[in-house]
Amino acid sequence: MTKISHEKVEVVIAGSGIAGSTMAAELGEAGFSVVVLEAGPERKLSEMISSQIWSRRLRWAGPEVQETGDLVGAANFAMGWGTGGAGLHWYANWYRLHPDDFHVRSKYGRSLDWPISYDDLRPWYDHAQAYFGVSGDYDPNAPTGAPYPMPAIPISDQSAAIKKGFDAEGLTLSLNTLAVNSISYDGRAGCLLDGWCDAGCPIGALANPLVLQWPRAQKAGVELRHNAYVARFETDPSGSRATGVVYIDENGNENVQPADIVISACHTIWNARLLLLSSTDKHPDGLGNRSGTLGQYFTSHALTTIHGLFERETEPHTGVTGANTLCLEDYDNKLPAKDAFGSRAWLVGQAAKPNDLLGTALAKPELFGDALDDYLRKASSHYGNMTVLCEEDSIAENRIVLDHSKNDRFGLPQAHVTNSLPQANVVRSEMAKSEGLRIFKAAGTSEAWAGPRNPMHMIGGTIMGNDPSSSVTNSFGQLHEVKNVFIAGASLFPTPGAINPTATLAALVFRTADHIRTNRSSLLP
Amino acid sequence: MMRRRRFVTRMISAPFWTSIFARGLSEKAEAKTVEQTSYKRLTHSDADVLAAWCDVIVSGARPAGVANFIDQSLSGDPASSLLLLRYLKASDMADFYRKGIIGIETESHHRFGVPFLQLAQHQQKEMIEAAVASNMQVWHDPDPNFFYFISRSDAVDVVYGTEAGFADLGIPYLAHIPPPKPW
Ligand SMILES: Cc1cc2nc3c(=O)[nH]c(=O)nc-3n(C[C@H](O)[C@H](O)[C@H](O)COP(=O)(O)OP(=O)(O)OC[C@H]3O[C@@H](n4cnc5c(N)ncnc54)[C@H](O)[C@@H]3O)c2cc1C
Ligand code: SF4
Repeated sequence: MTKISHEKVEVVIAGSGIAGSTMAAELGEAGFSVVVLEAGPERKLSEMISSQIWSRRLRWAGPEVQETGDLVGAANFAMGWGTGGAGLHWYANWYRLHPDDFHVRSKYGRSLDWPISYDDLRPWYDHAQAYFGVSGDYDPNAPTGAPYPMPAIPISDQSAAIKKGFDAEGLTLSLNTLAVNSISYDGRAGCLLDGWCDAGCPIGALANPLVLQWPRAQKAGVELRHNAYVARFETDPSGSRATGVVYIDENGNENVQPADIVISACHTIWNARLLLLSSTDKHPDGLGNRSGTLGQYFTSHALTTIHGLFERETEPHTGVTGANTLCLEDYDNKLPAKDAFGSRAWLVGQAAKPNDLLGTALAKPELFGDALDDYLRKASSHYGNMTVLCEEDSIAENRIVLDHSKNDRFGLPQAHVTNSLPQANVVRSEMAKSEGLRIFKAAGTSEAWAGPRNPMHMIGGTIMGNDPSSSVTNSFGQLHEVKNVFIAGASLFPTPGAINPTATLAALVFRTADHIRTNRSSLLP
Repeated sequence: MMRRRRFVTRMISAPFWTSIFARGLSEKAEAKTVEQTSYKRLTHSDADVLAAWCDVIVSGARPAGVANFIDQSLSGDPASSLLLLRYLKASDMADFYRKGIIGIETESHHRFGVPFLQLAQHQQKEMIEAAVASNMQVWHDPDPNFFYFISRSDAVDVVYGTEAGFADLGIPYLAHIPPPKPW
């Protein structure tokens, strides 16, 4: 195999998703020389074809993950592949973790604590929402922060039908907060409410890296190399400094990219695996794993979707794929019943087309033939849905490890993820399901039913903490043991809360970029 | 198919209906050509069984070219695959379908003593019901219920998930970038 060496740069970043591209733009604009290595191909806006069938080409096509446990199956769905990663087909629901989510262990004696509090992250949330462009109205049940830069997207027919049920339960339904332009913003168009976000938003109304971060990064001189699969990080003989990364190019050649600062932004499973693959005699159990916690505390959100058919027309194919409305009331009640634990959030009124995982047809998988056809004709104009996200406790047993008995296409040991929902979270999720069915019945559905519990989002595995003996990085995502290696992404979160992770992930990236900028002289030799 | 076409005539104004119908005809012509071209990954008999299975699940899946849709994705670069299966089981997708087709045939022989294609309509329906209820007697791998779920999604894709399928359901397509072809 040919080995190709490249000229040294100041920063090398593995992964070009929202985490990697935001970091690249920030550090490029701060004057660092930056190379980003992306495993997948180059993507263009023209590939965002409005079709659930064609959109699958944007999904993960990297090595396979083995998954065991009762809350798994999201690994391939959750990832993108190519410029922008999952940022090309995410739904842009934009939420802040709540203050208590940062102190679960101290307050409830379970799960973990973050090394920072909501107040530490609040200014970075404010910054991130202006950068991405977030629409939303004041919500008394959401954490405090700066007003959103755009007004909320108005209530949809689907949400209006469902709202009756929330009113009956005495719960407040608010307009959703989304990184989607309700009006034109920052040179990008306003949303047309056509419901194609899952296939990508080529007009850039939804903040995606092709319209947001990459133009900035490229202007700042950041180099992006595609089809570059990072196989490991290299360290000096003392094991205390990374010297760069090794990657495999599209011809199967090994490349060495020396760098002063190495950043992993490959998404949860792959961040942990990369560190595990980078073991040396000084780091025999994986880079930065003296604590033994590398790979541990993997979490997800336990998701259940409530479906229903309404008498009134709901136009379910319109709106955004994310959610039109939101209920955070009672989110802060993490002990809703004896034996139940965790927050929950309702995401209400997602646009639904007939096909794919979130489509109206798969909402009733048992129907076939004429019964399916009859149902689809009704559902096409009368369907409504809402999804509850429930918190999962962080426990060491749920983790990412290497399986040395199976190699991937690059000849590297496969990742193996174990995730089972702790019992108190199962009870919490069941309570939420009952609540959802009650709401849909009160909303006057002719039929309401719940889908199965599924995982959504991949979190943890390279958790941050103050104590190097029980965490992998500090609060800046900097490895405790190798100071010029940083991790970016949701793999850093010690706890997941019960809301989608990207606003928090972005806030952390901005905070880390600021830390690197501020400590430039000590980080560069 | 007849039922669906009748519905369309009721819901959509005449000029639009004419265009859909014309498209339907050309799709049928295309499907005919598809039947005559050789499959790249599936054998002809495998493709016939798969198409018949999918057609019981979603009426119209066979003429819409479901076997060709699956074969096209199985024979190309996996990164370009258009199949839902790639979310849920990315390794050896061809093997998954091959084993599933063997499962259909084995179960059909076990239950009725003849291949699936020779079953009466109600017997084919009984097989699908058994897959839905996880009630197969001799077919275990791949999980028949999961195979049903995936093949149902493929059938839904080609019948309801295309521009013509949306129109047939009365759903405005509203594309930013219309698909260059249905799949
Ligand atoms: C359908 C869907 C809807 C979503 N909706 C929401 C939402 O509404 N709100 C929200 O907050 N979040 C949402 N998410 C989650 C959100 O997309 C992620 O949190 C976010 O995109 C993660 O960004 P990332 O950069 O960490 O990872 P990714 O976007 O996955 O990017 C990682 C990149 O790294 C590359 N890579 C991996 N391994 C290597 C390697 N070894 N070498 C080089 N490159 C590598 C991959 O190819 C990929 O491009 C959604 C996700 C999906 C899939
Ligand atoms: S609904 Fe709005 S955000 Fe989604 S793809 Fe269409 S224009 Fe873009």
